[in-house]
Amino acid sequence: MGLAQSAEAAAHVTQTQTQTSTQTSTSNNSNSTSLDSVLAEAAAYGNNDDTEESIEAKAQRALECPCIADLRTGPCGFQFSEAFLCFLKSTAEEKGSDCVSPFVALQSCIKANPNAFSKDVLGEDESEKSEPTQEYKILPPQWSREPQSPKSRL
Amino acid sequence: MGGEEEAETQTSICKDAPNLLSSFVDTFVDFSVSGLFLLPTPPLQNPNPSISRSLPPLPTRLPSPSRLIAVGDLHGDLDKTKQALRLAGLIDASDRYVGGSATVVQVGDVLDRGGDELKILYFLEKLKREAARSGGKIITMNGNHEIMNVEGDFRFVTKTALDEFRVWEQWFSVGNKMKGLCQGLETPTDPFKGVPMSFHGVRREFFDGFRARAAALRPNGPISSRFLSQNVTVLVVGDSVFVHGGLLPQHVDYGLERINEEVRDWINGSSGKFSPQYCRGRNAVVWLRKFSNEVAQNCDCATLEHVLKTVPGAKRMIMGHTIQTAGINGACENRAIRIDVGMSRGCGGGLPEVLEISKNSGLRILTSNPLYQNMGNAGLNVGKEELLIPAHGGLREVEVKA
Repeated sequence: MGLAQSAEAAAHVTQTQTQTSTQTSTSNNSNSTSLDSVLAEAAAYGNNDDTEESIEAKAQRALECPCIADLRTGPCGFQFSEAFLCFLKSTAEEKGSDCVSPFVALQSCIKANPNAFSKDVLGEDESEKSEPTQEYKILPPQWSREPQSPKSRL
Repeated sequence: MGGEEEAETQTSICKDAPNLLSSFVDTFVDFSVSGLFLLPTPPLQNPNPSISRSLPPLPTRLPSPSRLIAVGDLHGDLDKTKQALRLAGLIDASDRYVGGSATVVQVGDVLDRGGDELKILYFLEKLKREAARSGGKIITMNGNHEIMNVEGDFRFVTKTALDEFRVWEQWFSVGNKMKGLCQGLETPTDPFKGVPMSFHGVRREFFDGFRARAAALRPNGPISSRFLSQNVTVLVVGDSVFVHGGLLPQHVDYGLERINEEVRDWINGSSGKFSPQYCRGRNAVVWLRKFSNEVAQNCDCATLEHVLKTVPGAKRMIMGHTIQTAGINGACENRAIRIDVGMSRGCGGGLPEVLEISKNSGLRILTSNPLYQNMGNAGLNVGKEELLIPAHGGLREVEVKA
């Protein structure tokens, strides 16, 4: 690393970062923009007749990023990688809709391994739960109530 | 590709990786919860950086569209929801939006009494995005049951609904854990912060379900802020006023835009546990039944007239909330149109009907009730004929004297 970036590459990165910083304020991000820029790069740098391979290659590169590292380990790392790769390569309008099979495989793995993606740090999840809770009261439905225990008379 | 270019590419891809991961997780969780894949969020209109959430204002007043469809209370019944939408030609057999540039208003009470609440919320969201692409618009509103649930009033929740939320929470939590493993992403906030571990007087086996529902639906919860904060509470489209229960003069005085903004802000967590005062009690905008009595002559038509006069251009008020066993009908010379037909299984399974207002054909009731096939005046309301649309589609005119 540490190599000088061309102006064009720098422009792509800046553009992506601006777009992504706008996106993070919404609850469900627009999927197309970041990958669009990746595809645009593929067209710029890669062979134009080989765009398919470029997309595959770039998706593989994404898998090697530091962000993804911990997700690839553990009992569901393989299923995660397959699902994530499929998602990245998906050009469907509803992005990922052509990935049902790897998504379902990942679901099955998670169901079999509920702690597949838990952090290693012990007790980290538990400490949140043992915080003193404010009294957030609910009104429950009748069917969910404990039966009233008959009061014994002495 | 040269080595230098390769390194640049890897760097720029890895800068993107956290957002790509986040999008993937959201898509995976959405699919796991709803079985659906959504189109991307439409771009925000008029983002205003000075407002913390950059939310565009909710639409309170809209011009008359060429076709307007009003759908009553759904109460957790996805099948009936789809039947109602199909009746109006809004979705095809594959559940795709085919309504073109129509405007669709659903007057609230998606929640409670049924187990398909999240499925309906997701389904309507899917349709909203599809509709936007054809110039159509789907507007969802707050009913009293949305308000109650955000306040933690779960008295009308069903057991199946609790299971749906429990499953939601499992996937949502996995998603958060996955995001937490990527260093480039902020650790997501724990949606359970402040939610009790137990509920007094409730059977232990239901604790998980109630915890999940409370976390999801309380102000600023993941489900309330994602779906319910998009709802309007009062709406004017052309010459029709839409509200779940009913509007009184003091509500109009208070300000319709103000009501919508305040309720949204409350749902997003800015004003504590309880909804604004006009959302609570018998005279609330979401609870009122003054114009919805099934015995039409018991309606307070004088007050209705007064209210309509204070909303420029308004000719009628369209409301849900009170089940009309006879189907959609009008009162006060059809200035009050009551569209809650109790279609949900949990409300008695009334036959689906929707109201259509179009430039070509005026007001029509689109109904699946076979009793009305080729009959003249059904005698339910003066001046109103109800016609039937068979389940597979058919045309029928209803004349409603406006």
